[in-house]
Amino acid sequence: MNRWQIFTRGIISENPVLVIMIGLCPALATSGTVRDGFGMGLAATFVLFFSNVIISMIRKLVPAEIRIPVYILIISTFVTIVDYAMQAFQPDLYRVLGVFVPLIVVNCIILGRAEAFASKNSVLNAALDGLGMGIGFTLTLVVIGTIREILGNGTFLGYSVLGSSFKQYPVTFMILPPGAFLVIAVLKAMINKYVRKEI
Amino acid sequence: MTSTKKMIITLVVVAVVCATVLALFYSFTVPLIAKTRVDLALAGLKEVAEADSFLEIISDTLWNAIGPDENVVGIVFRVWPQGYGGLIPITVGLDNDRKITGIRIAGASEGLKETPGLGVKITEADFRGQFIGKSADEVRLKKDGGLIDAITAATISSKAVCDGVRNGIEKYAQYGGPEFDKRNIFPDADDFIAIIKDSLWYALKAGDTLGIVFLASGEGYLDRIVVAVGLDRNKKIVGVDILMSQETAGIGELIREKDFLAKIRDGKPETISGATVSSEAVITAVKEAAKSYGEYLK
Repeated sequence: MNRWQIFTRGIISENPVLVIMIGLCPALATSGTVRDGFGMGLAATFVLFFSNVIISMIRKLVPAEIRIPVYILIISTFVTIVDYAMQAFQPDLYRVLGVFVPLIVVNCIILGRAEAFASKNSVLNAALDGLGMGIGFTLTLVVIGTIREILGNGTFLGYSVLGSSFKQYPVTFMILPPGAFLVIAVLKAMINKYVRKEI
Repeated sequence: MTSTKKMIITLVVVAVVCATVLALFYSFTVPLIAKTRVDLALAGLKEVAEADSFLEIISDTLWNAIGPDENVVGIVFRVWPQGYGGLIPITVGLDNDRKITGIRIAGASEGLKETPGLGVKITEADFRGQFIGKSADEVRLKKDGGLIDAITAATISSKAVCDGVRNGIEKYAQYGGPEFDKRNIFPDADDFIAIIKDSLWYALKAGDTLGIVFLASGEGYLDRIVVAVGLDRNKKIVGVDILMSQETAGIGELIREKDFLAKIRDGKPETISGATVSSEAVITAVKEAAKSYGEYLK
């Protein structure tokens, strides 16, 4: 597997949400609107990239038995740093994304990539993997968010796209959790049929 | 080294490194975070009231909004009504007529717990904008006889905001007033000295007395009317200003018209047709107060 493949497989062929089926909890919770989905994706990508790099760097020093607690310590340290840094330097961004940052600790994509990839590969490959998976996660949330926001609210990024009469009576359940299950299921079915050709 | 020892040492080292990094980063950012919090809180107040500064009256709950000439231009208060998911933090600005100048509702990152995509829409400008210029009675949902459109599928959150804002106005409107700009009456004065607290002032210019400003009040048609009156040294009325009045909109409230006030000032008062009670109340209040306070000009 060359470096380009390591970078790109997170986007479609090994998309974390739609193929590996991890990180579903934040994907359900933060894909109600495009803006929320993008924010969560961005914050998760940042943590994923740095935790992958650090874990790959220390992979030969950590005994196998205690690798999980070590990963969790590193990940939560990064999440806390992101949280403080945003509050201190980007208070406006924090107003939008602040609610998602602590959620990243429990995003199993990050622990999953640390365990499945970063702990067994070189620093450069781990960095590419983190970046690719992060981009795949972000794109997925943006696509789910787009569908849910348009159908459930008649808007895209807050701008009305389906007219005011639709906005009066939107498909409200699309922006509630059941809407996320439905959209993820349809996208998963499409990926299975057209990309993985399993059906 | 045995494997157990190695595990313990590794875990301790990692924990110590992580804790050190976090402690250093925390001590570096904590003053910055405190500063941005204060800035944000102030910006939150400025979002709802046009004022230069704010004077805290009740900690984190009520402020006087101070305008460019150090005069009180209104009040800002905070309320936390119970919404659908939790308490909704709302900041409300009122002008001196107790009309809303703006409301701000904290977003999800500041503790709002309404349903994402539904209740959270109370924070959007479409909803908040409806409150601007409204008085307490108008802040109800349309189905409850008010002027506010509820958000589709978020009636509980919408109603909670209306109730919170309305109750807040009723609770805090008495604070911060009746403060008025005495320069409206004596534009030339450079200082005012209070003779009777909150009712009578000397207007001074370069140490000379220009006249007096005082408050007068009378029973209007619906409620008490408070008027500010200025007398010059010859006991001639130089200005009349309505400070507080809650008369019938469009009828009794015509007492605020400049024409009506100018005629009182010029000593030729005329009642407003259709608003006899309200205008008589103002005229009588001014006359009687001018008589009784006139002796302060000797």
